[in-house]
Amino acid sequence: MKGVLQIALGVIAAIGGFVDIGDLVFNSQAGASVGTAALWAIPVGVLGIIVFAEMSGRIVAASKKPNFVLVKERYGPRLSAFTLVASLVLTVLTLGAELGGLGFIINYFFDVSVSFFVLVALIVIAAAIYFLPFGGIERIFGYMGLALLVFIASSINLDPNWGEVGRGFVPESHSAAVYWYFVVGLIAAALMPYEIYFYSSGAVEEGWGPKDIGVNRWNAIVGFGLGGLISVAILLTAAQLFKPAGISPTSIGSVALLTQQPYAELGLILALIGMLFAVGGATIDTAFSAAYNLAQHQGWKWGKRFRLLNEPRFTLSLAGFLLAGFAIAQTGVDPVELTEYAVIFSIPVLPLTYLPILLVGNDKSVMGAHVNGPLARVLGWFYFGLICLLALAAPILFVWTNGGS
Amino acid sequence: MTPGELSRSIDTLASTAAEGSMLAGDVADDRTKATFARVHARDMSDVVVHEAEKLNDAQADQANVAAAKTKAIDLADKIDTALGQIQVAPDDAPGARKAATQLDQLSKQAGDLSAGL
Repeated sequence: MKGVLQIALGVIAAIGGFVDIGDLVFNSQAGASVGTAALWAIPVGVLGIIVFAEMSGRIVAASKKPNFVLVKERYGPRLSAFTLVASLVLTVLTLGAELGGLGFIINYFFDVSVSFFVLVALIVIAAAIYFLPFGGIERIFGYMGLALLVFIASSINLDPNWGEVGRGFVPESHSAAVYWYFVVGLIAAALMPYEIYFYSSGAVEEGWGPKDIGVNRWNAIVGFGLGGLISVAILLTAAQLFKPAGISPTSIGSVALLTQQPYAELGLILALIGMLFAVGGATIDTAFSAAYNLAQHQGWKWGKRFRLLNEPRFTLSLAGFLLAGFAIAQTGVDPVELTEYAVIFSIPVLPLTYLPILLVGNDKSVMGAHVNGPLARVLGWFYFGLICLLALAAPILFVWTNGGS
Repeated sequence: MTPGELSRSIDTLASTAAEGSMLAGDVADDRTKATFARVHARDMSDVVVHEAEKLNDAQADQANVAAAKTKAIDLADKIDTALGQIQVAPDDAPGARKAATQLDQLSKQAGDLSAGL
């Protein structure tokens, strides 16, 4: 019973972290632009994050080493410093986009001003980080993020052509660069590096040991799987509503319109609440990820499991990253555009993030009996190859397609 | 400004008008929240005004591009006006119904203009 409860909590936490502003925007844009043809990219990305999240959780359970400790151990000082700087830049950009997105979402309820609500969001997020326990943060944002399930109901309510949906899960050769731009973006949106940083450090926060390896596996499979299902539903709904009407979504409000069509005001409110808490959860995840990475790289004491005031360097860096994200959001930059840049330009950082996980997961001297089995090994190397390919293709496609337009 | 660049700009206008028409339809049927309708209409209006400014500032050397550019600016102005109806009175169902029809027509006109380039 306790195991089931732990898995349920993991599933809930995954919704609060996996479905972030990048997923909301990219999935709706992909559905509006290329319809269901790119659906297959979502399970490809979701399987990738499951493989590496499970591996990183197992590494923590076996060795207590989170992601950036592995980076520091496996890379030389220069490459680990480069990985740190690149990951921090991208994580803070993502944090800015998430905070900006929160400002827009709250403004849809009250119509005061986006910049005012970005400030409100910053204060609420900082208070949640300071006052709530780690599990409490996951549960509150995860439970409320479940309102996003309205996208699954919407996609079914709109009675899609199921044959076409099924064909969307089969990759096909395509000559249009825009199609490949969205395929690459959908895979990347699922594999955003901060998700792995947060997952592995969160496993340390929760004190995982070898007994938790089974729970870790099911958390990764069911949690990210459910997040992927919501992503599929968003793409499918956009393909049914926006593509025939020639609508290319340009804001968070466009994404909310997707549930207003089938369920009127109730659908709109559920979507806005779900997005508010899912993006809020992702904001907390990104802020923690940046602070975790810096602290682990520098060898500082870190973690929410200790009192934050007892770890001044970790706490100050956490506050500094939140303020940097706030400053970016307050420049008035469009969070949707910022998200697109963050998703596409995170791809070149992906190989540097994932390689140490794979190397340590395959290392019997560190992992002992919990070393990668044949399936994890094959999938790990396959996804590492795919990630390297994406890292080369993403910037080219971004320029070639003018950001998917 | 090349025909491709102009076409992309006009496509943005067509898309925004179509989305505005969808939103206006929901306002007319009392299927949305007034605050959301007002804020989202304002956001879309900002997109349209930004495109109009870009079009106005761009230099079009080819005669057909220059003519289409002028038409696009005119369309942007009309789309902005129709979106303004939702923004100003998000609880006015008859006004929203009229705006939905106008925006639908403007979206089609923008689509035809883009296709002709």
